Amino acid sequence: MIPSSSYLLSLTTFVYLGAAVLYILHWIFRVEKVGVLATVVTVAGCAIQTAGIGMRWIESYQMGYGHAPLSNLYESLVFFSWVIIVVYLVLEWRVKNKVIGAFSTPFASLSMAYASFSKDVQDEIQPLIPALQSNWLIAHVVTCFLGYAAFAVACGLGIMYLLKGKSSGNSGGLLDALPDLRVLDELVHQTIIFGFLWLSVGIITGAVWANEAWGTYWSWDPKETWSLITWFVYATALHARFVRGWAGRKIAFLSIVGFISVIFTYFGVNFLLSGLHSYGSN
Amino acid sequence: MEAPSPQNKEKAGKEKAVWDFLSSVRLAVFLLITLAITSIAGTLLPQGEPLQFYLERYGPNVFQIIKWLHLYDTYHSWWFLLLLTVFSINLIVCTLKRFPTTLKLYRRDSLSMDPERLERMPFKKRWEVGGDRAAGKMEACAAVFREMAGRLQERNDLGGGRIFLSERGRWSYWGLYGLHSSILVIFIGALVGLFFGFKGHLMLFEGASANRILNQKTGKDIPLGFTVRCNDFFVEFYDSGAPKEFRSEVTILEQGREVLNQAIRVNEPLSYSGITFYQATYQAVPEVIVKIAASDGRQRSFSVPAFERVSWPEERLTLGVMQYMPSVHGAPAARVWVGDERGPQEAFWVLKGQDKEIKRGNGEFTLTLVDAQERYMTGLQVKKDPGVWIVWIGCTSLILGFIVVFWVPHRRVWFWVGSHGGKTVILLSGQTNKNRMQFEKDFSRIQDALDRCLGERS
Repeated sequence: MIPSSSYLLSLTTFVYLGAAVLYILHWIFRVEKVGVLATVVTVAGCAIQTAGIGMRWIESYQMGYGHAPLSNLYESLVFFSWVIIVVYLVLEWRVKNKVIGAFSTPFASLSMAYASFSKDVQDEIQPLIPALQSNWLIAHVVTCFLGYAAFAVACGLGIMYLLKGKSSGNSGGLLDALPDLRVLDELVHQTIIFGFLWLSVGIITGAVWANEAWGTYWSWDPKETWSLITWFVYATALHARFVRGWAGRKIAFLSIVGFISVIFTYFGVNFLLSGLHSYGSN
Repeated sequence: MEAPSPQNKEKAGKEKAVWDFLSSVRLAVFLLITLAITSIAGTLLPQGEPLQFYLERYGPNVFQIIKWLHLYDTYHSWWFLLLLTVFSINLIVCTLKRFPTTLKLYRRDSLSMDPERLERMPFKKRWEVGGDRAAGKMEACAAVFREMAGRLQERNDLGGGRIFLSERGRWSYWGLYGLHSSILVIFIGALVGLFFGFKGHLMLFEGASANRILNQKTGKDIPLGFTVRCNDFFVEFYDSGAPKEFRSEVTILEQGREVLNQAIRVNEPLSYSGITFYQATYQAVPEVIVKIAASDGRQRSFSVPAFERVSWPEERLTLGVMQYMPSVHGAPAARVWVGDERGPQEAFWVLKGQDKEIKRGNGEFTLTLVDAQERYMTGLQVKKDPGVWIVWIGCTSLILGFIVVFWVPHRRVWFWVGSHGGKTVILLSGQTNKNRMQFEKDFSRIQDALDRCLGERS
């Protein structure tokens, strides 16, 4: 029997929580095998989640709705955590450092836990309302969340930078295991570049879509405005490198402020402000 | 030429200071942060409400601030537009200032090098070859380099040798201009839309047509230059009650001749001669058919849409529908008012199947509700925006420019052979302005190949 998408996605939540704990244990106790296990668990979780997302897509066709699982808050949270994990795994593979996992995978676990356990989040497969019946849905959501996920990882790296920056001199502590400040600064920068590209594409695909659905590519609705605020914050981070005295700490700080802005764009606007983008709120 | 006077010098110094300030990254960073913070205001405060709303909700003191700062329409306020203007000036001045440097970088002759400078490059390798077979080896190595590095430029008698250059991505210096100017292009597109476009709204009953629309901002009539007719409107729901489809079947007519039949759905607008129609809203308007029989034997049927009136001049009677209920005890019912100069207005309910007798002056009438139905009215958003393509060009160049700025490197690899201090020397040098890791790999591949070539001693 093929397991249902909701079973697979619930399972994913626990696997990711386990992976986050393993990465943190690996960071604290520095046992090589725990690190390897953490990676294996994460990859397995990612595979389960990929299958879960695929099943949900198939199930929506069986229900006669037939749309990509990217249409409401639950589906976006699942996709968000999926992209965070994929971005993180690529980073781990390229940088060969598992400590970053202790600062990245918790974001994916939290996103899945929120999707699975919160009463505000409905996990039923719903049909698409007319405003969402567009080919731009996939392009817009995928690009935005690629950006958001990269910014989540950049935030984790920024926190690592600030922690490491405090530790200067005293050796033997937990912070010794973190990569060098120079390496962290470069990783924050690279991750922000990646996220910024996708956020820009996400805003543009959103504008193209809005122009097709409503006849205006930009209407200053709160979601749009907050995505632009986020864009300004990361544009600042990219330019700050060229201002004397701004590299390093200030950019790490901006990577955290930027992610707070992402979170507000994602949730705050839905729950606290009203606007055109109400689909994401239930 | 005259020597500059101290005043002129001071003036020039000030001008330069202003120029430097306007082109600085520091100003860009300041503007980006300020734009981010000030943009928040318009998302917390409801926008575009009548001023009275703000006075009642926030009190007279806060209201004064809201009014002065135009916070009821933040993103079109004088200070926000000023910020965007300074932002644009910053971009333009920065571009102009960097332009000569970039042009120089772009035009610089990478072949006019000397061996000493080649040896100071970030990536380098030097071989010395002796013996009488050196000349042959040189040719073999040059061939290897030619094969590995691709398209080459070449110059003879340079510092007593020959130089080969493989250069890629020199054009990438222009990416930054594509990226930065794209933002100005988007602004220009928005302005073109603002000055040469319009936005309007059109409500059309099924069967009705229009050849002009109301401009949303000015309230003025805009002639379309053609006629648009709504043939039908459909709304469908899922079992859950959520809407599934809103659809208007529309015909475009030019001088009474049908030229286009098309359905407009949400996400599927109709465009005709530069004007686009979007499905925005709809309204179900009830229409009641009543029959009135006068006591003198005359009778007539009227179709009365809700909130409208009809009159029967012969009987000096006017009537209208005030309210409509699709089902009262299973039958449709309407609240009808009747007025004439024979007495005060009166209103009453008429149910289908129950005639209503009314007296007006000395005349008697029987009112019958023949039928009631809902007629749909489609609400179309109408837009003309000749600037939208400029905005899309700006967006495309923003993304392409960004990719070039961050991922397209300018890479140069030099290969020099000549004699130095009585020996035959080979120099391999390289430089890149981004992605050192990849360059390092590619450089060491060439280096290894040359090592092998030189190592084949026989």
